[in-house]
Amino acid sequence: MKTITIDPITRLEGHGKISIFLDNKGDVDNAYLQIPELRGFERFSQGRRAEDMPQITSRICGVCPVAHHFASTKALDAAFNVDPPSAAKKLRELMYMGYYIYDHTLHFYYLGGPDFVVGPDAPAAKRNVLGVIEKAGVEIGKEVIKHRAYGQKITAILGGKATHPVCGLPGGVSKGLNKEEVKEIDKMVKSCIEFAKFSLKLFDDIVLKNKNYVDIILSDPYQLATYNMGLVDKNNKVNFYDGKIRVTDQKGKEHVKFDVKDYYKNIVEHVEEWTYIKFPYLKDIGWKGFKDGKDSGIYRVGPLGRLNAAEGMATPLADKEYKRFYETLGGKSVNSTLAFHWARLIELLYATERAQELIKDPEITSQKIRNPVGEPGEGMGVTEAARGTLIHHYKLDKNGLIDKANLIVATTNNSGAINMSIRDAAKGVIKKGKVDDGKLNLIEMAFRAYDPCFACATHTLPGGLPLEVNIYDHNKKLYKKLKQNL
Amino acid sequence: MKTIILGIGNPILGDDGVGVHVVNELKSKIKNPNVTIDEAITGGMNLLDLILGYDKAIIIDALKTDNGENGEVKRIPLSNFSAMHSCNPHDVSLMEAIEMAKKMGESRIPKEIIIIGVMMRKIPCEFGEELSKDIAIAVPKAIDMTLNEIKNDMKISS
Repeated sequence: MKTITIDPITRLEGHGKISIFLDNKGDVDNAYLQIPELRGFERFSQGRRAEDMPQITSRICGVCPVAHHFASTKALDAAFNVDPPSAAKKLRELMYMGYYIYDHTLHFYYLGGPDFVVGPDAPAAKRNVLGVIEKAGVEIGKEVIKHRAYGQKITAILGGKATHPVCGLPGGVSKGLNKEEVKEIDKMVKSCIEFAKFSLKLFDDIVLKNKNYVDIILSDPYQLATYNMGLVDKNNKVNFYDGKIRVTDQKGKEHVKFDVKDYYKNIVEHVEEWTYIKFPYLKDIGWKGFKDGKDSGIYRVGPLGRLNAAEGMATPLADKEYKRFYETLGGKSVNSTLAFHWARLIELLYATERAQELIKDPEITSQKIRNPVGEPGEGMGVTEAARGTLIHHYKLDKNGLIDKANLIVATTNNSGAINMSIRDAAKGVIKKGKVDDGKLNLIEMAFRAYDPCFACATHTLPGGLPLEVNIYDHNKKLYKKLKQNL
Repeated sequence: MKTIILGIGNPILGDDGVGVHVVNELKSKIKNPNVTIDEAITGGMNLLDLILGYDKAIIIDALKTDNGENGEVKRIPLSNFSAMHSCNPHDVSLMEAIEMAKKMGESRIPKEIIIIGVMMRKIPCEFGEELSKDIAIAVPKAIDMTLNEIKNDMKISS
């Protein structure tokens, strides 16, 4: 048996590794993704002051500090039995929209987009944001940089510091907005709406009008008919900051809808011996191995999961795009992994429209931004991180110190599905042991679509090692070595 | 000449946070109004945003090594790194961010970017605020190297 290993992570060697096992004919027998699990969080948290958790957890991940910050703050609202004033909720949500604007922009133009804009089988050295700019033009590059920075700026104005926010407190926020700040944000948001519309148009022109790409999106190796999960508002529209957790089946029908405090009644984690990562599944359906379909409890979160788990978007332009998405891709649910990219852009448009609603709301300058907290107890908080449902759960002692802490992060929610997507893509593209860079990229695309967050890759130096592929023979002796970006 | 010293790393992830430990100690040792000292738990685009507008950036970070010694400290100009592939699947590398900015006509990129790298065999995956023994020894070495860097710059400019 031959083993092919794709190692796309650089500094953290041995972390984030794809192993593909070939059978005697050189076809794919199975494939696994191993990603690191940061360990010891519960022990680390124990005995700390509960109100420090939003700052501490925002450092877990250099990528989505805002999502952790607010999942944590909301868990504290619940643990201290306090409902924040309406203005505080709006300020939090507005900041959250800033986070979505920069995060989704970054993913589409820098990480996921190059596969489509430059081409899935383009040389790896071209398949990056510079390749996108080469093809789309320098002016577009400037727009990308500008609007990503606007998202950051909105987050920084509300959060204190863009990279680790300090505004979330149990019962509210520490800082409101003044009129000048409102004016500044309003101007940026207006521009962001146009940018989001432009991005969808670009996706239309470059991807949807290219039959080859649409064929790839709809091709078998990229289909996965799992359950879908995401937060929804009272009208079952997508919501990033608050609401109930809704799960729909493969046809888009509601399977269950629950409050975060009941998450453990609905979600269970399966353990495999080859990885530290756990595999959550729906408790009532059960664990049936790495299978999709209605008998398997595996579900998907993130942009595609959220759109599938809802009945529309709560803002007009995004809702129009939502309908077009399902009309184009054949109705509910859309099961193509590569449709994550389109879903992400629809969410970008929603985030900008929602930000505009919030910044125009007269209550946004209210100074009533915090309510007094109650006695410490137990609490759960949920938000939609850019890459999926994120749950924080704390148990406090009578002095307000952390006794127990548990997190379910987005990439963990997707871990079962990501594994299957990699396996299916590998089966689809590797035949008779024939592997080249283009084929490997088609496999990488299957997991890049999820925008997986390998929590410990918090920073980037030297940003060095490239994609490496090792092929071993059945004696585990190195048989062939392929490298990209060297 | 305006310089920024940035300690990079995750302060709650053991040795990964060594850069932050180093800048925390540097804050009391450098009182030069032309030198800014800060920390960041970020990479790529965000890191670029932080260093724009300075003439020089000194970045202190953990570097993964396969053959080097644990706790060894090295001074490496950023231009020595050639790779474009980021270690973080959700961000671009600093080099990629800089290339992109150059292409867009960005004029505020520091002329000189120096990495003070603390070598480590293994990047930790366990939460904690303490440095291991090997890496703690590297902190004074990294501090000296950074102070020398600043001193030399002052000599040159005077």
